[in-house]
Amino acid sequence: MANLWQKLTHHKGNGWWNLPHTASNELNPPHEGPVGGAWLGNWWRFWTHGGVSHAGPKFYWLVGFILAVITALEVWAFALEGLGAWYIPILLILAVAKFIGVVAYFMHLRFDKPMFTWFFASSMVVGVLIFVALMFLMENAHTPVLF
Amino acid sequence: MTQAVAIDHHEPIENTSTGLNSRKLMMWAFLGSDVMFFGAFIATYLVYRGKSLVGPYPSEILDIPLTTLSTFVLLMSSLAMVLALHYVKDGERNKGTLWILAVVVLGAIFMGFQFYEFREFGHLGLTPRTNIFGTTFFILTGIHGAHVTIGIIWMGFMAYSSHKGALRPDNALDLEIAGLYWHFVDIVWIVIFTVIYLISANDGPPPGMESMITH
Amino acid sequence: MTTKALTFPRIFPRPKATTGIWSWIGTVDHKRIGTLYGITSFIWFIVGGIEAIAIRAQLATPENDLIGPEMYNQLFTMHGTTMVFLVIMPLSAAFFNWLIPLQIGARDVAFPRLNALSFWIFLFGSLIINFSWLTGDAPNGGWFGYAPNSGITFNPGLGMTYWIVGLNVLGVASIAAGLNFIVTILNMRAPGMDMFKLPIFTWMTLVTSVLIVLALPILAVAGIQLQTDRIYGTHFFNSLGGGDPVMWQHIFWLFGHPEVYILILPAMGIVSEVLPTFARKPLFGYGFVVFAGIVIGFMGWFVWSHHMFTVGLGPAANTAFSVSTMLIAVPTGVKIFNWLGTLWGGSIRFNTPMLFSVSFIAMFTIGGLSGVIHASPPTDAQQQDTYFVVAHFHYVLVGGALLGIFSGIYFWWPKMTGYFLNEKLGIANWLLMMIGFNLQFAPMHWLGMDGMPRRIYTYAENMGWETSNAAASAGGIILGIGVLIFMINVWYSMRNKVEAGDDPWDGRTLEWSTSSPPPPHDFDEIPQVKYRDDFWFRKYPETISEYYHDHNEHDQAVPSGAQNDLEEENLPVVSGGSDDGHGGIHLPDMSYYPFILGVGVAGIGAGFLSNNAVLFVGVGILVWGMLGWSMEPVNDPEPEHD
Repeated sequence: MANLWQKLTHHKGNGWWNLPHTASNELNPPHEGPVGGAWLGNWWRFWTHGGVSHAGPKFYWLVGFILAVITALEVWAFALEGLGAWYIPILLILAVAKFIGVVAYFMHLRFDKPMFTWFFASSMVVGVLIFVALMFLMENAHTPVLF
Repeated sequence: MTQAVAIDHHEPIENTSTGLNSRKLMMWAFLGSDVMFFGAFIATYLVYRGKSLVGPYPSEILDIPLTTLSTFVLLMSSLAMVLALHYVKDGERNKGTLWILAVVVLGAIFMGFQFYEFREFGHLGLTPRTNIFGTTFFILTGIHGAHVTIGIIWMGFMAYSSHKGALRPDNALDLEIAGLYWHFVDIVWIVIFTVIYLISANDGPPPGMESMITH
Repeated sequence: MTTKALTFPRIFPRPKATTGIWSWIGTVDHKRIGTLYGITSFIWFIVGGIEAIAIRAQLATPENDLIGPEMYNQLFTMHGTTMVFLVIMPLSAAFFNWLIPLQIGARDVAFPRLNALSFWIFLFGSLIINFSWLTGDAPNGGWFGYAPNSGITFNPGLGMTYWIVGLNVLGVASIAAGLNFIVTILNMRAPGMDMFKLPIFTWMTLVTSVLIVLALPILAVAGIQLQTDRIYGTHFFNSLGGGDPVMWQHIFWLFGHPEVYILILPAMGIVSEVLPTFARKPLFGYGFVVFAGIVIGFMGWFVWSHHMFTVGLGPAANTAFSVSTMLIAVPTGVKIFNWLGTLWGGSIRFNTPMLFSVSFIAMFTIGGLSGVIHASPPTDAQQQDTYFVVAHFHYVLVGGALLGIFSGIYFWWPKMTGYFLNEKLGIANWLLMMIGFNLQFAPMHWLGMDGMPRRIYTYAENMGWETSNAAASAGGIILGIGVLIFMINVWYSMRNKVEAGDDPWDGRTLEWSTSSPPPPHDFDEIPQVKYRDDFWFRKYPETISEYYHDHNEHDQAVPSGAQNDLEEENLPVVSGGSDDGHGGIHLPDMSYYPFILGVGVAGIGAGFLSNNAVLFVGVGILVWGMLGWSMEPVNDPEPEHD
């Protein structure tokens, strides 16, 4: 139980998922060029953190661009009109991706202490659970369920 | 000791039990509260989706290209917000002020879109009293618009503050907290854009009532 | 600080008074705000009690025409609303305010001005709701305001509008207070006080605050939807326009069931403080009590539809909510057994607080068990809308929450005032309340089983309900006399002061380590916490080895369920609060902006009830208060240094 509590409240490592690497508590890495070392990681770090240990404008522009692209994809999915049963799941996945993009990077949850994430995520979990349950209840409200 | 080094090296270590800033913690708790607030409205919308007894129905009235544009504007205001915070933290006062002003302007454009949309819908015969779609649509987007308006006023205050030199790297937290609110309003719109506009865009009358469409 | 800051022109000088009315209006001291909460909500308690007595007077005899049906509807609506929102919640808030900073070893809450704001908004909200009595048009749709009965068609008066506006104003106050206490408890703990060294009352306050912050917005949504239905003719709950009145029930109970736990958890916390003190034993199974509280707080979200078993949600939904309702009895039962385990083998003293706490366990268990009974849908179908339900929730709320709160009043009164409440009058108070309470509500069980419906203003003569109803009415009067004796006790004890000293009950937690009443800065020196029940072990170091077996290891200073607060232990700079090393203790300066903002919020509420001019004045005052507030430094710069 104590271990679970620590996981709930303490910041260990870099956060909850490991993309991209938050280098804030590390020294600036030596730039090794595309050949030597973990070039992909360095390339990513350069773009995401402007070569320093904190996310920079370039990174934010990149996130903003990706969010705009996802929005375009959503509208494209709308314009296609042939997705049938896949339409709503696809839209929901894209919306969640945008949601996470803004929350994680623009709102800095990705770079911040995890307790903020827990605050927000726990209310999201409670909210999503009860409101989805509410929709199921109301969906079946006027149709007799044989069980 | 390495753990104790703050994740963001711009910020001082807070003198609190958790090491987290109290105001920021409260802002996040407040956003959790607002999640429930908007969650209840969005759930109401979804429960009542497709239950309108008379037109106009969403498929007749929603203008997806227009709303895509306003969605894009709000998304970019979030980008401007995060850039403003970056420059204020770096002590670049003029750039910071400009980007905060960009947030204000983009937010105002978004509200302009909403105002135009509400008027258009009114002309097309959709009001909160027309049908359940009108009821849920106007109240939800209206409440969201009220949030955006509050955010615009707050950001205007921040821009003034930054212009006067009262917003500096050492109290950039003021802007960060305002920014959290702004981004939150943006993510609410992400959800609204998906569930009200895109998902409902083809909603017509409820099954068995197609014959009652009045063109 | 040499940095430039924006300033806002002051219309009034910053308040400095330490006595008189202005010292209360400008106060940001958590103890004074707690006192304000306590006095205000006790006045509403008397009002709500008078409403209850009137209801019982009407029901004392069959076919009584003392009060007409319309008045009766207003009475039971306002009685429920008052007791839930204006009595139990703010009385708990009075304890939060008074005790949380003292229990965690802090000098104030995290946001003192916000704390004052919560109180003022609460005060004005409660006045708005009760103002409806003066207009002769009090709310009459029940405390749950079921649509469409609360809608404009069936309820064209202003009464339900008062109810909606008042509740939304109160909701703002509650959310602000909830946010404040979450942050206070997480961030303002004294050095060394890990989460698992927190007193149980503090833990339950934390869980309650989280519930408040998450549940009250849903009430706001319900209120807004009902209000737009009433005023602007929308269709949220209007089936002719495609809406569905069942949706109101769902949204209301999505708020309403967590609300139930908001009411009871603080009382559970109080009892968990009183029992160990008077049994002179640590709380049995601290970790279990904490986690049971958290689990109740979480599971409380998933039981709301048990209020709607007879609506016709279908067997699947009814089964699911029946199971979840029965499951939530488990953590509640865990707590009851932990309280019994605390008493077991203790050297018990039956002072008044202990009497109330022990009766709490008994009465709350009865109320809880009748709750489990109607967790079963078929049983509930029999009991729905009968007096059995009335008996159930009064056993939980009066026998539970209210007895817990009275226990807390007797327990902490010496700390708050420095003087004891009289013990003999206290025992008389307890005895009369227990007799009156059981005489009033126990017969309602069989009235309900016999089929007497709730919310009817009278009943026929030949139903066989006369004796039980007469007994219940007599019980109500005895209960009222018990409360009267409490007031006499307060008056008597203020006259004949019996010094209590700093630690009258041989207490366990930090609030007993400071003087009674505490100084404005609470603690001369911020305490360093090493153990759970730290003050006890400071007094009796020889008992440490009894409870902490491995006393060589600092890490083992807390038994099972413990953790080390990593941030806290590794951070080089942690001191308890605002004491920043140069001798003086900085308390936040007084401010009148909370009051102004409160007036602004009340003005907006009044605007919804009257006309737009009032609304705009309210908004204007609100903006003035916000601007002034945001540019007002917590402490005005001191002239000598810095």
